[in-house]
Amino acid sequence: MTKITTENYVAEARKAIKNQVLQRALADLQNRFGRGTAECYRQLPEGPDLRLKAHEIRMKTIENLDVVLETLAANILKNGGHVFFAKDSRAAVDYCLEVARRHQVRRVVKGKSMVSEEIDLNAALMDAGIEVSETDLGEYIIQLAGETPSHIIAPAIHKTRNDVGSLFAAKLDIPYEDDPPKLTWIARKALRQKFLAADMGTSGCNIACAETGHITTVSNEGNIRMSTTLPKVHMAFMGMERVAARLEDHDILLRLLCRGAAAQNMATYVSYIGGPRQADQVDGPQEFHLVILDNGRSRILADAEFREMLCCIRCAACLNVCPVYAKIGGHSYGYAYTGPVGAVVTPLLVGINRAKDLCLGETLCGACQEACAVNIDLPRMLLALRAKLAEGDPAWGVKPADRKEKLLWQAWSMMIRKRTVYDFVLRLAALVQKLMPQRDGMIRRLPPPVSGWTQGRDLRPLAKESFIQRWRKGF
Amino acid sequence: MGTANQKEFINRIKMALGKPFAESRQKADLFNSEMSAESRAILEHIKNRNAAERKKLLETLIEAAGPINLQVISCDDISAVTGAIAGLVRAKDPEWGDQKSVVAWAHPLVERLNLPAALSEQKVPMFVTGSKSTADEDLRQQVIDAYIGITSADFCMADTATLVMRARPGQARSVSLVPAIHIAVIKLDQIIADLKELFALLKWDPHERREGLTNCLTFVSGPSKTADIEATMVHGAHGPREVHLFVISA
Repeated sequence: MTKITTENYVAEARKAIKNQVLQRALADLQNRFGRGTAECYRQLPEGPDLRLKAHEIRMKTIENLDVVLETLAANILKNGGHVFFAKDSRAAVDYCLEVARRHQVRRVVKGKSMVSEEIDLNAALMDAGIEVSETDLGEYIIQLAGETPSHIIAPAIHKTRNDVGSLFAAKLDIPYEDDPPKLTWIARKALRQKFLAADMGTSGCNIACAETGHITTVSNEGNIRMSTTLPKVHMAFMGMERVAARLEDHDILLRLLCRGAAAQNMATYVSYIGGPRQADQVDGPQEFHLVILDNGRSRILADAEFREMLCCIRCAACLNVCPVYAKIGGHSYGYAYTGPVGAVVTPLLVGINRAKDLCLGETLCGACQEACAVNIDLPRMLLALRAKLAEGDPAWGVKPADRKEKLLWQAWSMMIRKRTVYDFVLRLAALVQKLMPQRDGMIRRLPPPVSGWTQGRDLRPLAKESFIQRWRKGF
Repeated sequence: MGTANQKEFINRIKMALGKPFAESRQKADLFNSEMSAESRAILEHIKNRNAAERKKLLETLIEAAGPINLQVISCDDISAVTGAIAGLVRAKDPEWGDQKSVVAWAHPLVERLNLPAALSEQKVPMFVTGSKSTADEDLRQQVIDAYIGITSADFCMADTATLVMRARPGQARSVSLVPAIHIAVIKLDQIIADLKELFALLKWDPHERREGLTNCLTFVSGPSKTADIEATMVHGAHGPREVHLFVISA
């Protein structure tokens, strides 16, 4: 399902911009969550600057990630859980399949997890003949429709109630219904059976706590609690950076996560899970497994320029304010991670050349950093990625993306450093521009290869005299 | 258990981090092994909280409960709670099937409610998740069949109207999750201010830290909800549709 389709960015973006339903849904989403989150930050007793403190906490953890992860693993083992360190998707998926085989798992219920999208867990489980049910209502809708999520927190925002109604009628064999409460109840009923019948539940991890040995799950629906309480095996997946050292750190991080994700002071359900059911307990899974995933993250860690990206707690607040995401939606980004976070993380994970359009497409307006729960300087990293694309970077295996563009800039820089050349080019341009179609004193169209510039706007022509010429003549 | 794996994985991180190596970094600074002055002050503050401050926390809790549709009912004595729960059992209909049954934690406060007697006149059976005499499978079925689950909680954070529950023998996690209606009963002095107080207690209070977070620490703030279809808020996505919290003041 999660095929990497970052190459289709421009084509997908074009489609999204023409989709009126999607445009309305995106505008509505940003109006509510974008503004709501900003208001939540303002109302914090510590004010929006708490995000700076959170950044410090995250950075300190990341810079000691070896010690922190070893502590986390040791504490989980002590509580009777299992920990598996997976260097890539394959290793993570294989481990999960192996545990599933050992327990003769036939049905899996999934709590929402971006990492499981990243490693394409669903496809692997289904290939092994295991039934997989997404349980987050939005994810369930997407799964029934055979699509991929378009938003980290609101995966089905591109679907209307009529879409969902027709989908449920067709897939669940029930009469058409388009009232959201009734549709929700239909899904509740269908998924309750899945929860009760499942042999394994999977989840992600929002922020683990190393010193106590717990992962955390956060949800409003209760699907993650269901998935991690009722089946006999609980398999959790986390990116290796999703951990905090101390319990105290969770005070700040959890408060910002809930505010960034859904403009809430607290999600309905937060669970700290640190091991399987104990001998004297009557419910909970008999086995607890945690898969800690690298999958390219250690390479990001090694690069001082991008290390900061590992502070991200995937709250998706940046999606809710990004003017680019607002127009092109999530599917254009072609990978599990969308919006500004996707524009930086995806190139770093799947290849900078391969996902170049993602970082080239952003505006550098800085709204993402302002919304970021942990104040990550996304614009700086977007620029750094663009610099790599312009110059090439053997360490990251980046080839210069566009040699013509590079040549053009080299010519430009030569021209503006030589007065005589500059004046000559100006005079030449003043002559040439007379050939261009004009109206009301504006140039309407430029010829290829620069015709794109005038596709959506007119261009002001060069003045008859340059400032220097007028200066020399005296005013 | 995959130790070779772990070693290789951690080594890759060490390489990526470069110098200074882990050995020379301050581990003590990363995990504070001594209680900070701030945590000490928080614990002192909780211990010395007077009746008026407790009442104030209750007000904060009620205010925070409103927007998330958590019903908070403050009662002066325990018999009033028993009466109110019996009233809810009578008034509410089961969501799945038409048999009414209730499941509850084995917990001193819940036992003091004396509910089995109060519910017997309605002929509604109440199962308790404490008795190890019941097979796990039967117990699971009792939870699934129940339309109301009754629990207590370890704490309640006033700031966000959040119940905090640890996993313990006799206090099944599913009781606050699987039945359509969750009823929780706590005492006034179990209300604390916020996450900061909670974490200070769990980490530094000598009594609380012995038990720690347990293998599953759960926060519940109101009923289950979703807004995944056209951003329309609906309660009861997967967890309980209603949550009623009784606070006993006496």
